[in-house]
Amino acid sequence: MTWTWSNVWHWAAHPLSWPGFVGMLVGAVLVLLLALLVVMYSIYWQRKFIGWIQWRIGPNRVGPWGLFQTVADVLKLLIKEDVIPTGVDRTLFLIAPIFAFVPAFLVLSIIPFSAHHVFTANLGIGVLFYVAVSAITIHGVMLGGWSSNNKWGLIGGMRSAAQMLSYEVPLGMSIVGVVLMAGTLNLNDIVAAQAHTLWYVIPQIVGFVVFIIAGTAEMNRTPFDLPEAESELVAGYHVEYSGFRFAFFMLTEYVYLLAMGGLMATLFLGGWTGPFLPGWLWFAIKVFAFITFQFWLQATMPRMRQDQLMSFSWKVLLPLAMANLVITAVVKALV
Amino acid sequence: MNFVWNGPMIAFYIIALGVLGAAVLMLSVRKVVYMALSIGGVFIGAAAIYILLGAEFVAVAQILIYVGAITILMLFAIMLTNHKAEEPPFQWTGRNIFAAVGSVLMAVVLLAVIRSTAWPVQPADVHLNAGNSNPVAIGLVMFKQYAFPFELVSLVLIVGLVGAVILAQERKEDE
Repeated sequence: MTWTWSNVWHWAAHPLSWPGFVGMLVGAVLVLLLALLVVMYSIYWQRKFIGWIQWRIGPNRVGPWGLFQTVADVLKLLIKEDVIPTGVDRTLFLIAPIFAFVPAFLVLSIIPFSAHHVFTANLGIGVLFYVAVSAITIHGVMLGGWSSNNKWGLIGGMRSAAQMLSYEVPLGMSIVGVVLMAGTLNLNDIVAAQAHTLWYVIPQIVGFVVFIIAGTAEMNRTPFDLPEAESELVAGYHVEYSGFRFAFFMLTEYVYLLAMGGLMATLFLGGWTGPFLPGWLWFAIKVFAFITFQFWLQATMPRMRQDQLMSFSWKVLLPLAMANLVITAVVKALV
Repeated sequence: MNFVWNGPMIAFYIIALGVLGAAVLMLSVRKVVYMALSIGGVFIGAAAIYILLGAEFVAVAQILIYVGAITILMLFAIMLTNHKAEEPPFQWTGRNIFAAVGSVLMAVVLLAVIRSTAWPVQPADVHLNAGNSNPVAIGLVMFKQYAFPFELVSLVLIVGLVGAVILAQERKEDE
């Protein structure tokens, strides 16, 4: 096995070696740090942006323009006492946040952040991997709600599981349209296929709309934030959590925001391709647009009702995604 | 028997240990929710073994369907019904002794059959996916070679679906 220094960063194309393994570890740590940084400033941007929408200033006390507000919040959560209520199912209560977070971080491993996908895998089944692994998070949410031994927690966990399970189907179906057009499941190849033609958001506009709606529901964000509906469920599945276990659930939510934004940019907006600017910057701009759009929705939309939610997924989104899929297939066969 | 201590072999033993551990855990815990979760662990371990064998698509499908859907449906059923259910502590009854003897015999027979079979050894230079990526290779085989059985399987699924709907349907004449 020949080995050169360049293999450290291009481990995906070579057989496994020790330096390649170290490169993998460093890559994983870098992606984790990136995710944490993005999460921190997504929360800051959420508060600032919604503040502006609501004619307020938003956080402005900690650091210049309140830039360290989230840092302070995270520090507070980390040094808080780790409260475990007496009535809980102890083992599950302790591991549920881990179940929720690990898949959220795992899916980042396939998102092509830049033209030279140094830290992420060039996986032949990329899109499917995302859909499959993100489903594991449902366990964490559901078990967190159940093990809390709290009626709001249980209802929130159940709602969340039902919602994420049923919106996963239209989400997957909307992705299949893109996969059909690109002829591959590999995210890097999908980006390359869009670079040759045009961004799939134009021919796949129906799939794009379904993807955005189902993705919002999959992340439990407004207008689909029924699992955490403050006004009726207090906080839903994480009502009994505090300190860093609560932080883990929040982290999961915002890492998924980043991952879903990355997936959307890759599938529909051409990933890192774009004129003039470097690839990673284009990717960042697209993800930022997605995240900002989510916060805009959050400040604008009221919450849906539970009975509307389920029938909307199965009776509107799924047939729409199916029709899109059939039309894409017919067009592809004819052209 | 010739052991080669390379990466995949070590990974296989670690994964196998994990799968067996999850399976034993499933048998030994008393709470039903824990059992459902340990089965999820077995499914993930099986997916890891598929990845080790180069069958990425099967592995991801395994996670998607078994871990993502079936385990969650089990948890749903448990939580919405008798969610505090626990099994009574284990006792040596006649039935349990019979089951234990049966499983040991089964294991002996399986081991004997496995050891007495001459397994075909694949030459190392043959590429399983014939140069395509794994999902493409599966698609080609499925729709060229096995198109008819594939359609038949979907028929079985339809029958199952319709059957479930009919069973779950409220019976009007009972009212």
